[in-house]
Amino acid sequence: MAARRVKIELEGGRGEQPVSQDGTAGRAVRDVRVGATDAVLDGRLVPARVLREEGAVTAVEIEGVSIPVRTARERNRVFVWCGGRTYEFHKAEAASSRAVRHSAHAGGLLSPMPGRVRKLLVAEGDAVVRGQILLVLEAMKMEHAIRSPRDGRVGSLPFQEGDLVEAGVPVAEILE
Amino acid sequence: MSPLPKRILIANRGEIAVRIARTAREMGIDPVGVFASGDSGAFHRRAMSQSLDLGPGPAYLDSGRILEAARAAGADAIHPGYGFLSENAAFARAVTAAGLLWIGPSPDSIEKMGGKLAARARMREAGVPVVPGSDGSPGEADSGAELARRAAQMGFPVLVKASSGGGGKGMVRVDRIEDLAEALSETRRVAEAAFGGGRVYFEKLFERPRHVEVQVFGDSLGHIVHLFERDCSVQRRHQKVVEETPSPALDDRLREAMGRAAVEAARAVEYVGAGTVEFLLDERGSFHFLEMNTRLQVEHPITEETLGIELVRAQIEIAAGAALPRAWQDGSLSPRGHAIELRLYAEDPFEFLPRTGRILAWEEPSGPGIRVDAGVGTGSVVGVDYDPLLAKLVVSASSREAAIARARRAVSEWIVLGVETNGRLLAAVLDSAAFQSGKYATDLIASLDRPREGEPPDAAWIAAASALEAPEPASETGTGTSRGPEDPWQVRSGWRPGA
Repeated sequence: MAARRVKIELEGGRGEQPVSQDGTAGRAVRDVRVGATDAVLDGRLVPARVLREEGAVTAVEIEGVSIPVRTARERNRVFVWCGGRTYEFHKAEAASSRAVRHSAHAGGLLSPMPGRVRKLLVAEGDAVVRGQILLVLEAMKMEHAIRSPRDGRVGSLPFQEGDLVEAGVPVAEILE
Repeated sequence: MSPLPKRILIANRGEIAVRIARTAREMGIDPVGVFASGDSGAFHRRAMSQSLDLGPGPAYLDSGRILEAARAAGADAIHPGYGFLSENAAFARAVTAAGLLWIGPSPDSIEKMGGKLAARARMREAGVPVVPGSDGSPGEADSGAELARRAAQMGFPVLVKASSGGGGKGMVRVDRIEDLAEALSETRRVAEAAFGGGRVYFEKLFERPRHVEVQVFGDSLGHIVHLFERDCSVQRRHQKVVEETPSPALDDRLREAMGRAAVEAARAVEYVGAGTVEFLLDERGSFHFLEMNTRLQVEHPITEETLGIELVRAQIEIAAGAALPRAWQDGSLSPRGHAIELRLYAEDPFEFLPRTGRILAWEEPSGPGIRVDAGVGTGSVVGVDYDPLLAKLVVSASSREAAIARARRAVSEWIVLGVETNGRLLAAVLDSAAFQSGKYATDLIASLDRPREGEPPDAAWIAAASALEAPEPASETGTGTSRGPEDPWQVRSGWRPGA
């Protein structure tokens, strides 16, 4: 079989038997190759055929049993509906690029959800105490206060009131 | 009765705007929509015969621009839906003053039920039992001894509330008498900042109440009826998630008593149109008035399905001066079977944090006993500025057991790709022993065991790999779900007030 190998990770992956190799401990990652009549999952051969209609994946046939699926892809992410449930996967990053991405956020507080900055209660350079509310995010009529994790001084505050913020981006930096 | 309106402007968005437009069309009435400039791709526009651009900002709350749009479109009536301006008495007055038909209760009724404290006082006078609590009179907070006496009488815990609050905001639980004064002043500060002030009071906090509401309807001839109850006890963060009717907690005697109390509540404010009286049902089976929603309720479809009636149609007819249908008045209306509504929210199913993105694929459940009122479709963008409610699944069946089975089937059929939803929470509620037994309270979701994640089946990994290994398609979305740039809802030119 001539298929390419894809290393994919389950988003929010808290798999029951996570694979632990090259820094992926605790994450659900699989090495998958899909051929014309079989697939290989982490070295395990599965007789499988992917059925498509007008280019879209509609079913996966495993050992002759056809299982309905739906997929939708957005860049490196893919959403899969299968067996009455929805899963989100993405192409697994190399451990090194993951580490770089995480260290870039080390000093910063990440937004827990997408939202709009409703109130900015501190300014850069302000002294703050642990638990103090730094800013308030609002999304879908729900407010979420971002609090300082420790005593310190406010470093950078990249957003202003009214700005849109995505989930998982730094919204404040607290210096020692 | 005056003639029915010919063109209704629907001052709302999402599923409720679509739902109202559908009934309008069936009645031969032209539905006109509005949208905020930043929301020009909104799904509800497809349900309208035309829709008008209200301009930038929080436009759905801008009564001036909405009235201008109504004039420009030649509308002769306005339906506010729920939320936004639906319980804004000043807007209701402005609509009427502009010579348009207001499809809702009178501004006076809205005002009388708007302040929680005033509503409580009025209900006490009308003989409707209210949740025990303080009356929030000026100076109450200053008299520590008086407060302590009342609270001790009732017993802790209590819930400190702002009269002008709502949606779970401005409420503080207090477990000890020593913390009461502090909570009252804290809530007063919050109310000052969030709702522009208003009075603060406290109520007895029931630990495991049920939340049961009664649909009422009045006409301009002074008739008022109730249309049975909806059990809304399945909540997260004080927001409803699953509703059902009939309530498994009521017997005929209690149902009758709550129905009567709801009618008395509505009569006390000379109510015309559709309204909902919310009660807390405590563990001993006593019910207490909580508040009245002077508008169409999100969960109104379960009442429609079990009674075989149409509340939006009745709203329009009664606003035009019609009398309540005879069958609603002579006691011949009674619920058939069972209906459950499940709200699909764009949020993490167990943390309840909002989720946004583009819906890449949307396939609704269907088949016997299924109704979906949706406010999004494939290609819809879910942003942070509006309510997370994507759609309501309403199932009906001959019995409660059959309705639960049908709901589980339908939830597993629902395909939503691209934005995380609370679908797994809905399944977990339906699967829970507490929900299935019918013996549950408002703490049901909080007490659910988080279901085990489970590994995706092989088929899911293989499908994912197959979709990811293909070269990335030229369009933004994956195969089979792409939406071209010539999306008519994006390029359709809009009208803008003053432009």
